[in-house]
Amino acid sequence: MISVYLQGDSWAHQVPAGLKLLAVALASLALFQVTSLWVYLICLCVVLLCYASLGRAGLAQLKLLRALSFFLVLLALMHWYSDTLHDGALAIVRLLTMVLAANFVSVTTRMDDMMAAVQPLFRPLALVGLSPRKAALGVTLVLRFAPHMLVVYGMLREAWRARTGSRNSWRLLAPFAIQSLRMSDNVAEALKARGGADGLSA
Amino acid sequence: MADRSLVQIAFYAALVAVLGLVPAIYLPWTGPVPITAQTLGIMLAGIMLGPVRGALAVLLFLFVVALGAPFLSGGRGGFAWFYSTSGGFLIGFPFGAFAAGLVMRATRELSVLVSAAMAAAIGGILVIYAFGVPGMAFWGNMSLAKAATIAGGFIPGDVIKVCLAALIAQTIARGLPSALVSRN
Amino acid sequence: MALWPQKKNRNRPRVCDPDARPYAVFDGAGLTIGGKQILQGLTLTLQEDRIGVIGLNGSGKSSFVRLLNGLRSPSDGTLALFGAPSAQAEPELPRHVGFVFQNPDHQAIFPTVEEEIAFGLTQLGAGKDESRRGARTFLAQHGCEQLADRPISELSEGQKQLICILAVLVMEPSLLVLDEPMTSLDALASRRIRDKLLSLPQKIVMVSHDLDHFDGFDRLLWLEEGRLRMDGDPDTVREAYRRDVALRLGSEQEPAAL
Repeated sequence: MISVYLQGDSWAHQVPAGLKLLAVALASLALFQVTSLWVYLICLCVVLLCYASLGRAGLAQLKLLRALSFFLVLLALMHWYSDTLHDGALAIVRLLTMVLAANFVSVTTRMDDMMAAVQPLFRPLALVGLSPRKAALGVTLVLRFAPHMLVVYGMLREAWRARTGSRNSWRLLAPFAIQSLRMSDNVAEALKARGGADGLSA
Repeated sequence: MADRSLVQIAFYAALVAVLGLVPAIYLPWTGPVPITAQTLGIMLAGIMLGPVRGALAVLLFLFVVALGAPFLSGGRGGFAWFYSTSGGFLIGFPFGAFAAGLVMRATRELSVLVSAAMAAAIGGILVIYAFGVPGMAFWGNMSLAKAATIAGGFIPGDVIKVCLAALIAQTIARGLPSALVSRN
Repeated sequence: MALWPQKKNRNRPRVCDPDARPYAVFDGAGLTIGGKQILQGLTLTLQEDRIGVIGLNGSGKSSFVRLLNGLRSPSDGTLALFGAPSAQAEPELPRHVGFVFQNPDHQAIFPTVEEEIAFGLTQLGAGKDESRRGARTFLAQHGCEQLADRPISELSEGQKQLICILAVLVMEPSLLVLDEPMTSLDALASRRIRDKLLSLPQKIVMVSHDLDHFDGFDRLLWLEEGRLRMDGDPDTVREAYRRDVALRLGSEQEPAAL
């Protein structure tokens, strides 16, 4: 399945998903009560040690920092410009700590287990007719549609290229949407033929 | 038609995801700010599905991301990103789709192109920024004005997306009218 | 706007008899979609084990078989399915009528074979573990246990279609409806699927463009422009159909006839 999950059998993989989620939630609440840069730095080191405990593959996960770097640089520049460097450093370290901690949970928890851990949160939704079953089916459908849509887009692009010689065009977006919508109609029909999202249980 | 609703919602959630996988583009006149297609999906979800289903589609998308699927622009995934400077924008996404759907419905008598452009501008820019900028100020430990300055760099790219969303909605309305659920 | 229609009353008495013969009785049934007449004036009784449906593109074959499992409802005339009027039978139909689509990619929802099969069992009310176990046993019964953990996207077209058929069979329908199930398969795979189908205890109604697929069938229906053009034993109907196609080839050369 498509996920940021890292296959493995470490101590962190064995901690129940619910516990890990709870820990991150509590940590995020606690971190906002603190204003000392040193405390933040210690927390950041602890999180980094967690990644290190997964070995080389774990440290490789830190590549996600690249995606953050653009904003962190902007943030630093902004604070440097307005002479609030201490606030800036605080914000950056706090952000790094939280993002890395939360990501650590994602990296060490299978999507199925994550789903099972948050399933109880859906119970209140049953009141408006949205069963947890539907939410789970919805997730499955999203993971099912996304790769298929990439295939549809690839085929359209090929046809476009064969006829125009150019590689890509925003003009492909609408036919892409129409074709994939037709596909989703077919899936809806097939789902209905098998008893629909509610099932047939008496 | 509960099954169809569920499939439609999942479909647009997947569309938002797939658009997040489109590599960011850089245009000379927007500077170093990356333009990603993700919010185009948010706009389309609201425009095509209407307020409730549009917002549910975006919520489902965020849920799948939170579970760990790498569907945020740039191939990011997991709930960690709600803690980052873009967290406010993520929270604004479902509200943006909801607003876009409302505008679409309120401007029924206008042409799809005009109505979709308004929906995309209000839902996809105004509402999302109303959540995103305070989120950025909060996580970045800075004033709203400064956060707004940074976020402002993304507006040109968003204007392009508004135009695209309107054109796509109009084309779909012609090619597959039944897909414009928001007006059915 | 009701977003999620509330669940229908589940305690309604069952109206369908899955073993009823005839299982479908059309009386002047027609179907209109968006002002367009798709099917009209169908009067026929289905009771045979193996029934084939042929006709040119747009003749209404797909709509016709969709009437059998409630994906479409007749807009005029009457239709009785498993001994009950179609409107009343509709909620029960997914349980009794398995439907296999032309393109397996549209039918398979889940990432792995095991989950796809298990879905049918959860639809019938089984718990998660129970349905997973059931799926494995079922796959083993059909000689496919080695496929259980495979991602569906990596299977061959023939394997995909086989899994789609099994995913429907696991719900133990009494009737299996197939809408051009062999269209995307090569000659060998389609032969294997056909042999598999003929070995099943289920009643079968199948649409196909390949007339050879109907060897061993009891009856063949030929639809043309939404009406029943011919109805009889496969050899007679196939012969007439071939002659008709040859005749049209001789007389119509215009692209409009495609």
